[in-house]
Amino acid sequence: MTVGYLPGAGFLHRAHPFTAMAIGGGVAVLAFLLAPPAGPLAVLALGVALAMAAGVWRVLIPAAVISGPFWVFLFAIHGLFREAPLTALGLSARMTASIVAFLLVIAVVHPGRLVEALLARGVPFAAAYLLAAAIQIVPRFQNRARAILDAQRCRGLRLRGSPLRRVRAVVALAIPLVLSALAEVDEHALALETRGVGTGKRRTILHPPVDTPLDRAIRWAVLGVLAVAVLVTYP
Amino acid sequence: MGSSILFEGTTSKRNRTDHVSPRLLALIPLAIGINLALGQFAAATALPLFLDTVGTVLVAVLAGLAPALLTGLISQVVFTLVTGNVTWLAFLPVQLFIAAYAALAADRAGFASVRRAVVGGLGLGALAATIAAPIAYFAFGGVTSGGVTVVTAALTGLGVPLHWAVFASSLSNDLLDKTITFLLVRTILVTLPRRVASRFPGVSRALGLHR
Repeated sequence: MTVGYLPGAGFLHRAHPFTAMAIGGGVAVLAFLLAPPAGPLAVLALGVALAMAAGVWRVLIPAAVISGPFWVFLFAIHGLFREAPLTALGLSARMTASIVAFLLVIAVVHPGRLVEALLARGVPFAAAYLLAAAIQIVPRFQNRARAILDAQRCRGLRLRGSPLRRVRAVVALAIPLVLSALAEVDEHALALETRGVGTGKRRTILHPPVDTPLDRAIRWAVLGVLAVAVLVTYP
Repeated sequence: MGSSILFEGTTSKRNRTDHVSPRLLALIPLAIGINLALGQFAAATALPLFLDTVGTVLVAVLAGLAPALLTGLISQVVFTLVTGNVTWLAFLPVQLFIAAYAALAADRAGFASVRRAVVGGLGLGALAATIAAPIAYFAFGGVTSGGVTVVTAALTGLGVPLHWAVFASSLSNDLLDKTITFLLVRTILVTLPRRVASRFPGVSRALGLHR
């Protein structure tokens, strides 16, 4: 399951993309820095609160779906077989907190705005484009994979059954998916050339996101919190 | 390693975009899409496979080492962002190693026959598991993605110490996964339309057609 950008006008939507990324990244790093299980649990609560306050509570649903298997397996391995349920609780909370943090970032930062922010900071167009294009291509390829599987099923492909049958299904998906992608390379390259990529000219940024003093202060504050967390956890 | 066709332009320091051709800029996101779509499908089939490096191996063959490393790096960052699953980022060293290994294999005609692809895939699987197992054990308590974790849980339930269970499950999954990945990429290379294959000199080198 994946999540994309969720339109909105919350405080993280309005913030500079780097600020939203610093907050999300800070939450994820904090979950791994603080001692389990209390630390990651507190960070998880913070992540949930941020998602609610930013108006993207919907990310909590995929976050629960994605983190569910981690809870099951961690409690099976550490709680049941190794009799260390607190270890399982700490690791599960840590994973879930980082999942919430990353989904929060992707929900509030529009890829186009991120590219403009990166370009405004002097990041080469190629690097900014690759990141944004990759983020945007993911749902397209998921849809294409579904379409190919539907088409193959119409031709008699069965996705369930023995492992060998499922491996065959993988091949039936992989070959058309990859060949269709490679057939697109020239078309995409031409589109990039017509947009002036590779001409050697400096690109103009039409709407660079505003980086306010408050944004900068928040980013420094996140860095400060992480530094304190390091000092507290590893005195 | 075959990347000259993809890197072109002037050496102007004013705009580093010129060092990367539009074709390479087009190829890498598509390869990342392949990595994620196949990876998610493999996870959904509950097979002990990842298939999240097919795109990276393909770029290593078509465009060489540097583009493959870039594909691996961006794949892990983007997967982490769009799925929220931080395990992707933690396994970045594995992706980068796979990119380097696949570029070397392509340069040595590692996809010239089914046998060579199987041997190359098994070698990659053994090495990738050696890198992946410590990451899975120390960072995530042995719990990462579906298929491999089922094996780890089963072995732990049988009384195998966790670190050995993690290594054994990583090894068994990676041997199978990387062998199938190499076989898939070989199948793709031999079925590529001539018009498409001619645009990537790495194809003939990987298939051992001219050395």
